[in-house]
Amino acid sequence: MAEANSGQMGSEPLLAAWITWTMDFWDTMAHMGPGLVDADRSAGQAPGETAVLGDAWQASLNLWQAFFSLLTEAGTVATVFQGIQAPSKIILRMAQAGWGGYFYLHQQWLQGWQGGGTPAGKHAYENLDQDIFRACNEIFEHDFRQLLNLPHLGLTGLPQERVIRATVQFNQFQAAMAEFIYLLYLPVKKSLRVMGAEWVDGGKEKPPEDFKEYYKKWLKILEGHYMTLFQSVEYIRTLTHTLHALEDFTTAKEELLSEAMAALGLPTRREMDELYREIYLLKKSVKGLAQQIGRTEPAREEG
Amino acid sequence: MGRPKIPVDLILAKLAADAEEAKHRLEKARDIFHGPLATNIGTTPYEMVYQEDRVRLKYYRPEAARFKTPLLLVHGLFNRETLLDLQPGRSMVHNLLKEGVEVYLIEWGSPSRRDQFLTLDDHINGYMDNMVEFIRGRHGVSQVNLMGVCLGGTFGVIYAALHPEKIKNLITTATPTHFNTAKGLLHIWMQEIDVDRLVNAFGNLPGNLVNAAFLLLNPPRLLLDKYLGFLENMDNKDFVENFIRMEKWIFDSPDVPGETLRQVIKDLYQGNLLVQGKMRLGERRVDLGRVTMPLLNVYGQYDHLVPPEACEILTKKVGSRDTENVCLDTGHVGIYVGSRFQKETIPRIAAWLLAREG
Repeated sequence: MAEANSGQMGSEPLLAAWITWTMDFWDTMAHMGPGLVDADRSAGQAPGETAVLGDAWQASLNLWQAFFSLLTEAGTVATVFQGIQAPSKIILRMAQAGWGGYFYLHQQWLQGWQGGGTPAGKHAYENLDQDIFRACNEIFEHDFRQLLNLPHLGLTGLPQERVIRATVQFNQFQAAMAEFIYLLYLPVKKSLRVMGAEWVDGGKEKPPEDFKEYYKKWLKILEGHYMTLFQSVEYIRTLTHTLHALEDFTTAKEELLSEAMAALGLPTRREMDELYREIYLLKKSVKGLAQQIGRTEPAREEG
Repeated sequence: MGRPKIPVDLILAKLAADAEEAKHRLEKARDIFHGPLATNIGTTPYEMVYQEDRVRLKYYRPEAARFKTPLLLVHGLFNRETLLDLQPGRSMVHNLLKEGVEVYLIEWGSPSRRDQFLTLDDHINGYMDNMVEFIRGRHGVSQVNLMGVCLGGTFGVIYAALHPEKIKNLITTATPTHFNTAKGLLHIWMQEIDVDRLVNAFGNLPGNLVNAAFLLLNPPRLLLDKYLGFLENMDNKDFVENFIRMEKWIFDSPDVPGETLRQVIKDLYQGNLLVQGKMRLGERRVDLGRVTMPLLNVYGQYDHLVPPEACEILTKKVGSRDTENVCLDTGHVGIYVGSRFQKETIPRIAAWLLAREG
């Protein structure tokens, strides 16, 4: 026991030094860009725009803080965590500043495009988590796609149209896929939040001492969230939308490939499909005739 | 904010001990991975006795046949039939042979684009019927026993309704016949699928899309926990071999012929026509009242793919008076590879068949 204690004492200064260094680092980083959020807001940014991200940061920092304070209770590195409240706020502020900067740049960018298309500035960024993919898609639809819609004239008009169509469908599929994957990530986020609350507040039962127990518990919660998600209207809508986008992209890709294959003098998929259909119908007729012959031959023999 | 109550110091100590253990496990696993691994599936010896297009018929001969009537196994089109002969000791085919049953197994093969126009009618009244005819001729019997697996069971039920004179006994395992249920995710999702769009775009349903759909049924277990389990057991050669066998089977879904898929989705999953007696195949109506042979209906209580609600109604809808529902304490795949199924259910099926051998 004495040996174990002496071992712990040996690692404590190192850990304490690391934590101090980490705190200093974030403190320095936080002071590098003060006032960005305020500047951004003065440029017309609504205060609620960073709320969603702020919530996530606050939740993560709470967990982090809880972890540190718990170590403090365990008595291993008691003093170094004093003042942990300050870094958490600094990190949060820094994240808000970074995000605010992004919105500022985004707004500038949109203004630059206003001459060419309708700006996509109407998105509900207050609810950014849910709308980010829709927003990206709308940027594409309202801005880029208008350029792609320019009429294609002349000899290469049709192939150009095919290329553009495949490009558009590819982008739409990517957007749908991103939204679908994000939806699949939501249960992970929710289950971690539930586990976080459990971590901080604990339950009525004695908490287990094995990490695997927590993993099992998390897995069960995660499964529950997935089952709820998979039966939701939102999931089925997104799944269907993604599948449709994939189908549209596949069709557009096939049309483009067919164009290229026709130019190379190769049989296209459509031509091959027509051939397959003919073979299928012929084989079916032959099999039917063979069966008829098989049935009539014994009758003839008997007769 | 509340104070954390979790004994982090103890957890960290346990994790440290686990890390040490993992190091030893990794060393042992390295030796296993560098050595030869027996991961082949479908290893029970068989004879290929019939082939028509891409579809083949395997014949498994028992050491001592106890039954006059051979058994035809029909698997679904969404996965490979190798599930029934996945690993030594947990092979349904092998255990049926041990019971003295002569087994025939349909191998649907790998549909290519040229198979996209094949319909449900082609599969059931074409390939299946031709193989039943072949078996009847080969054994000189007027009837065969038919056992269906998953959607292959649905094929079996439809076949039995259309050709009752050729089937002596019918066994269905994890077989959906009542598709209008909100219990299984597959049943819920299929309601919204625009199958026309899907088939028009792809021709056949790509096997990889089927693989992905199965993974989405339970991502935490199938994408995470399963592989953590593998990491925890990778120093166990038997476990590694069986794990790889299962992986091979899971990710080897063939493409599904487009026209067949179209009818399966529209008539079965979306229309639920089979149990209503409204389904048509070719020019004939599928009347479950014509299923008059003995029926054994086996399904899993925890089957999320084909829930009990999708299976159990069958015995009430058929014309047979000799029917039995057997609900096993397992999930979908567990029905075929679970040790309990191998030890208890296969002998039970053999005994059920023997009692009706006549």
